[in-house]
Amino acid sequence: MSVLPKFRTFFKIIKENGGVVGSFLKLYRTEELKDGTLVGQDKYGHKYYENKRYFIARSRWVDYADDVGMDYDGSQVPPEWHRWLHYMTDDPPTKVPPVTRKYILDHIENRTGTHEQYVPYSTTKPKVHAWQSPRAN
Amino acid sequence: MATLLRLWPLKRGLGCPGFIGTLASRAQSTAPEKIEIFVNDKPVKVDPRSTVLQACAEGGVQIPRFCFHERLSIAGNCRMCLVQVEGSPKPVASCAMPVMKGMKIKTDSPDTRKAREGVMEFLLVNHPLDCPICDQGGECDLQDQSMNYGSDRSRFTDMEFAGKRAVEDKNIGPLVKTIMTRCIHCTRCIRFASEVAGVEDLGTTGRGNDMVVGTYVEKLFKSELSGNVIDLCPVGALTSKPYAFTARPWETRKIESVDVMDALGSNIVVSTRGGEVMRVLPRIHEDINEEWISDKTRFAYDGLKRQRLVTPMAKNAQGQLVSTEWEEAFFRIVEKTVSLSGDQIAAIAGGHCDAEALVALKDILNKLGSEALCTEEVFPMDAAGTDLRSNYLMNGRIVGVEEADKLLLIGTNPRYEAPVFNAKIRKSWIHNDLDVAVIGQQPDLTYECEHLGESPKLIQDLVDGKHPYSKVLAGAKKPMIIVGSAMFQRADGAAVHRAVSSLAQTVRAKSGCGEDWRVLNVLHRVASQVAALDLGYKAGVEVIRNNPPKVLFLLGADDNTITRDDLPKDSFIVYIGSHGDNGASMADVVLPGAAYTEKNSTYVNTEGRAQQTRLAVTPPGMAREDWKIIRALSEILGVTLPYDDLNEVRERLEEVSPNLTRYGDVEEANYFKQSEELAKGIKQQLSDQPLTPPQLALKDFYMTDADITSITDNVALRESCHGVGQQ
Repeated sequence: MSVLPKFRTFFKIIKENGGVVGSFLKLYRTEELKDGTLVGQDKYGHKYYENKRYFIARSRWVDYADDVGMDYDGSQVPPEWHRWLHYMTDDPPTKVPPVTRKYILDHIENRTGTHEQYVPYSTTKPKVHAWQSPRAN
Repeated sequence: MATLLRLWPLKRGLGCPGFIGTLASRAQSTAPEKIEIFVNDKPVKVDPRSTVLQACAEGGVQIPRFCFHERLSIAGNCRMCLVQVEGSPKPVASCAMPVMKGMKIKTDSPDTRKAREGVMEFLLVNHPLDCPICDQGGECDLQDQSMNYGSDRSRFTDMEFAGKRAVEDKNIGPLVKTIMTRCIHCTRCIRFASEVAGVEDLGTTGRGNDMVVGTYVEKLFKSELSGNVIDLCPVGALTSKPYAFTARPWETRKIESVDVMDALGSNIVVSTRGGEVMRVLPRIHEDINEEWISDKTRFAYDGLKRQRLVTPMAKNAQGQLVSTEWEEAFFRIVEKTVSLSGDQIAAIAGGHCDAEALVALKDILNKLGSEALCTEEVFPMDAAGTDLRSNYLMNGRIVGVEEADKLLLIGTNPRYEAPVFNAKIRKSWIHNDLDVAVIGQQPDLTYECEHLGESPKLIQDLVDGKHPYSKVLAGAKKPMIIVGSAMFQRADGAAVHRAVSSLAQTVRAKSGCGEDWRVLNVLHRVASQVAALDLGYKAGVEVIRNNPPKVLFLLGADDNTITRDDLPKDSFIVYIGSHGDNGASMADVVLPGAAYTEKNSTYVNTEGRAQQTRLAVTPPGMAREDWKIIRALSEILGVTLPYDDLNEVRERLEEVSPNLTRYGDVEEANYFKQSEELAKGIKQQLSDQPLTPPQLALKDFYMTDADITSITDNVALRESCHGVGQQ
């Protein structure tokens, strides 16, 4: 096995990721450097790549949009890309667009930990009734 | 049946100490020689006046019983206490059988067991099998005893589905729930009502299988002690209505505490579950409440969950009290207080304050240079005033009434001011021939009493010997004079006090009861008063009214003794307490405190006995123990109080008044003579206004807001009790 193709791949990866600086930033953000073909982009700006050279489960990945910065999260992937990303199908939504229905809601990411998180309200009566001061006139 | 049960009053008529009387009363005469009997062949020396049941108890054998109760007369109708006595052809009911010399009692013989099994079978034949839905389940005498003494199999088949005997439930009020089918006719409730509570409302009709306990005609069981029949009932026939289906006895935590609804300091057990008070039960204290508690003590706990102050509050720009943080509330107080001199700050303590909070508040105000610390309850400060403890204590003690032979009540209605104490007077009236006389408007006290009149001038007449009753008092061996603290709220309170203390001295001198016997007794109405006076609070808000402060602290003071109108416009009111009421409504800043079930604290009852309440549940929300609030405030005000935990506060209490930490003991007071001498200097004249106790009807008792501030205020239960009073 020759060493040369390895170097070629290495430089290809550096090049595809935007040179030395771009690669450094990508490595800082995702802790991984890969080369691959761009399969598509969703409406949030996330880019989806594929490279069959990698073994399955690592051969498809998402490059989150720049505006989420370091706050990227798996739940930011919309459902139509989710199924491709997780090998439920080999047809990306760019090739087979998802069926649109009136009742399908827009995708939202997981809000846990933010001020918009869902908190269930208590349905039990409070044990202690707090005093309310009479209205001042 | 009903006539049989009323044998006890005959004793008074006949004037001879009957068997029942000797059993129930604390006999003062010398005990006769003991006789020997044999309990299961074991020789036991017992008092010849005792019953077989008591003798067996002394021999270490507990005999099952339903109808027998130590504090009630003997009925002997449940037959559960049957034992075999050698020489007797039939088993005998041990609760009603006097012992005889050489008696041989078999409590565990086959015959005895068979007799018990038979009785139990008869009881169960007409008792519903509804233990799983019965509130008594788990603490039911019938349940326990059928397990211990009952048969191991049933002969009850009911092939025809005829069903068991059923009895219609009675509506006897909003407090006691009746499920009369469960009744086993022990008649404890009837005997309690007629003997202890003094209301002849309950009785039985019919005989045999048709016997029914009830009120004859449909009416309410109107007694201030009515809740005690719930504890007395050995089965689930009488249960608590507010407690119905809320908890099971085995899932509750029991905390021994002290009641603060009146000044007696009845001992209670607080049952809690999941941080909630489920019920309040009496705890035996022979010198205070025996095993009874008043309805207010028992049922006021639902007030602990209503109108609570759960967060600190401060007024916003619109003048509305809104929830805020502790820091914010404290800074608001400091803002107003920091520039003021001591004489512009004052405090009023209400009726439910504990000694720890009282001493902390006193210390902080003293450090700020203020001496204006008052209690809502007035007590004459003229002459010796509150400097001598004997002036404001029930010196003769609560049990003293059991030894006394003449009792003079002045302007008090113990029936509603201290119901358990009234039961004690009644007990003494029944068993010890106590003569009771009343000055002041005469309420129905449940016992006979001589009504001397209503004018306070009568007291002076008694001192001067002008009134015929003064001869009776002079002839007494152990006279007792009880004056209600309500009488000191009058304009001529000081004169009343002078008259009463000189009457006490005169009576003591003339009757020759000796120096050890205390004649003068003050019956307080609120739990905090004695501790407050011990700590040096001024009684009454006169000082504050004459010198309106810029900043006023209200420690649980809800009686509107000082209102906004008495204070300058820009004055600032801080309320520290557990419930939102008058005090919190007029406050600028509200600091949420703990109620009496939510803190370890000290209360001193009317006889000067220091007792502790225990923490049963934690204070709700952001509420904290009162003394801790004051301690925290002191730090922000820059006058840090030198105590950080409960022990250190109690050390401080001990420093100020050592009796406050001698828990369980009554600290005696003295200097009656000196006090009377000083009182002679009081120039005030007695007025002609009749002496009227504040609570005269049962309605007043349930609806009190004068002496009991917020805990029983606006309670849903009270609304229904209001109905009792009106009928």
